[in-house]
Amino acid sequence: MKKLSKLLLVLSFALSISSSAFAVTVASWGGAYTESQKLGYGDPTAKKLGITINWVDYSGGLSEIKAQKEAGKITWDIIDVYAMDTINGCDEGLFVEFDFDKDFPPAPDGTPASKDFFTGMPSKCAVGNILYSWNYAYNTNNVKGTPKTIKDFFNTKKFPGKRAIYKGALTNLEIALAADGIKPGKGGKNIYKALNTDKGVERAMNKIKELCTDPNGGCVFWSAGAQPPEFLVSGEVVMATGWNGRFFNAEVGEGAPIKQVWDGQGLDYEYFVLVKGGPNEADAKKALAMMTSTEGLAGSAKYIAYAPWRKSSLKVMAKGEPWYKDGKTNMVPQMPTAPANTKNFFLVDAQFWADNSAELNEKFEAMKAGF
Amino acid sequence: MSAELKQILTTDGIPLEISLKRAERKNKIKAFLLVAPLLFFLMITYIFPIGDMLMRSVDDKMVTNMLPNTFKSMENWDGTEMPSEEIFEAFYIDFQKLVEEKREGKLSTQLNYTKNGFKSIIKKLRRKSKTFEEGNYKEQIMAVHRRWADIDYWRAIKRHAPSYTTSKYLKGIDMYKNEEGKIVSVEEDRRIHRVLWLRTLEIAFFVTLLCFLMAYPIAYLLATIPMKYSNLLMICVLLPFWTSLLVRTASWMILLQQQGVVNDFFVMIGLVADDNRPEMMYNKTGTYVAMTQILLPFMVLPLYSVMKTISPSLMRAGKSLGGTPFVTFWKVYFPLTIPGIGAGCLLVFILAIGYYITPALVGGASGTLISNQIAFHMKSTLDWSFASAMGLMLLTGVLAIYWVYNKLVGIDNIKLG
Repeated sequence: MKKLSKLLLVLSFALSISSSAFAVTVASWGGAYTESQKLGYGDPTAKKLGITINWVDYSGGLSEIKAQKEAGKITWDIIDVYAMDTINGCDEGLFVEFDFDKDFPPAPDGTPASKDFFTGMPSKCAVGNILYSWNYAYNTNNVKGTPKTIKDFFNTKKFPGKRAIYKGALTNLEIALAADGIKPGKGGKNIYKALNTDKGVERAMNKIKELCTDPNGGCVFWSAGAQPPEFLVSGEVVMATGWNGRFFNAEVGEGAPIKQVWDGQGLDYEYFVLVKGGPNEADAKKALAMMTSTEGLAGSAKYIAYAPWRKSSLKVMAKGEPWYKDGKTNMVPQMPTAPANTKNFFLVDAQFWADNSAELNEKFEAMKAGF
Repeated sequence: MSAELKQILTTDGIPLEISLKRAERKNKIKAFLLVAPLLFFLMITYIFPIGDMLMRSVDDKMVTNMLPNTFKSMENWDGTEMPSEEIFEAFYIDFQKLVEEKREGKLSTQLNYTKNGFKSIIKKLRRKSKTFEEGNYKEQIMAVHRRWADIDYWRAIKRHAPSYTTSKYLKGIDMYKNEEGKIVSVEEDRRIHRVLWLRTLEIAFFVTLLCFLMAYPIAYLLATIPMKYSNLLMICVLLPFWTSLLVRTASWMILLQQQGVVNDFFVMIGLVADDNRPEMMYNKTGTYVAMTQILLPFMVLPLYSVMKTISPSLMRAGKSLGGTPFVTFWKVYFPLTIPGIGAGCLLVFILAIGYYITPALVGGASGTLISNQIAFHMKSTLDWSFASAMGLMLLTGVLAIYWVYNKLVGIDNIKLG
């Protein structure tokens, strides 16, 4: 008996070593988001392919993978990154370039992958995963009336009280221009055209400065995604920009008196990239294709209010409503890509930010120093 | 005298001096071997990384090697008017080679650090250059994007010509070297680093001061009350040490925000009006409060350990010689605690100067410090050379403070416990 248990121990140990050698490691943001990925498509994919998928947390940015590569010991296969990082990492040669329609399966109706995704990819190394929104929300107890538009966010006469905005320039400049009267146009084209000129940048900065120095308004800057709903619930601010998934969690998950406004929202994306020379590149590639399939992407929306990239995934969700894990909430209206929510929106332009983020953040910081 | 000494032999006939030296050398080697692991560890974790940072911050060979022809033809270009066809052609040749090797992305990253806007125009150039016709490259390149026809972008390329550069350090104080080789400030709406340096120093200074003012009485109390109370008090001092930094920061947010516990209390007792609550969070006040609390133990402990060694009879002696309590404290007790003050202040100041998570969360509009900027360039823009340069500037600052301290108080005087 004792011998047998010893043997089993040795065997299981050997197995754990060999299985970990064939494991695919995915780095993502952690928390409820990674949970949704793991439950939504990670576990089903691992089961189907007979591999192990390990999820590790990281806090964004490319410094870790760059350091891994420089040290000659890459430990991640797949990373969940921002658009800007796919561009920077692709330029640095850190990631594998895809042959999109060959590497990723078509939709169930046969539409090729490149047509099924909501928009094109910012770089050859990226495959879309979720779309999330930079929208704003307000506390229904503290706001008299109903804010409906992005202009209302900046309207301190009608809706007095402090606002919470993101600490950096990203998306703040865009919503400032949208509120200042620039029609975003297709995918926010007009906004970025304006931001490509010094005048446009100045106009956006002035709009924000006006809001933040207004005695009826004022700004609190948030740096972590959990902060905006927290500020709203505690009554610290009356309105806050933030990520729609976080607002959804507070509103639906916790029943907080929060309401989201979708007008002038910025659609932003999360991508997966495949690390060049990762420990298990071949399996990782297979897993990635399965995770970003129609079924896979729809799966994660069961657990979190971020939209799957594929249009065909939305159809799967609509058929399966109520799709949310609580079994009573319809998920399609909560999606940033739902038709009712995309009447007035812009797509966060990754290339623009890859070009200008350093300079604009310096200017934004200089503006804040002048308050 | 020395001749006499030489006569002294040990039992095995070797002169004593040599024998002693041998024994000593053995001991020295033993001692060295004992510290060797530590030395090795320090080399790997400290000396090498700093050396590497130094190299990174000045090394610009990558671009120099990527555009050899361009820089050669640029040698005589003074940057006053658009480059000639010859330079454009050289650039095109270099660029084609980079595209073949798939390295143009790296070039765009490097150039983008110097002048924002290079990333997209290089990508566009790669696409368009496939259909370029031979000859007249100037016109063809300039037609790709209006920025290629902007002389500023060509000046930015030329700035990369030398293999080594101080540009990252200049950028750290909002300066750059222009075409005439003069060092000038960047445009006014981009001057941010000088503000951040000053803000970092200011916050570190005041946090140190506040810590000192609060820790001194606490440490005195700890050192003088009976053991059974002092143990309890010590646990109170150390308790925050055992709590996560983020938890402590978040609790301050809950306490001090406008709708927070403290303000609620003020309103309840009628100290302030409900619609006129003071702002104690998301500004510098918030940063001072949170950072002082977090760093307080680093001041209390060195002070306590020094005060513990001061005999109470010294104070009694001072008093019996006719000193008032204040005079005895100032003339006898205080000077004896200086080593502890020095250690505590240095420790707190150095820790405070590198803080960035807490200020970012509670500092509001003034929550960005120089370390936030370093983290931004490490993680987001991947401009590690700039991050290294700023890191080294921070390190130099700390060393300078250490040097000043050494001159004023003497480093031998420092006492950590």
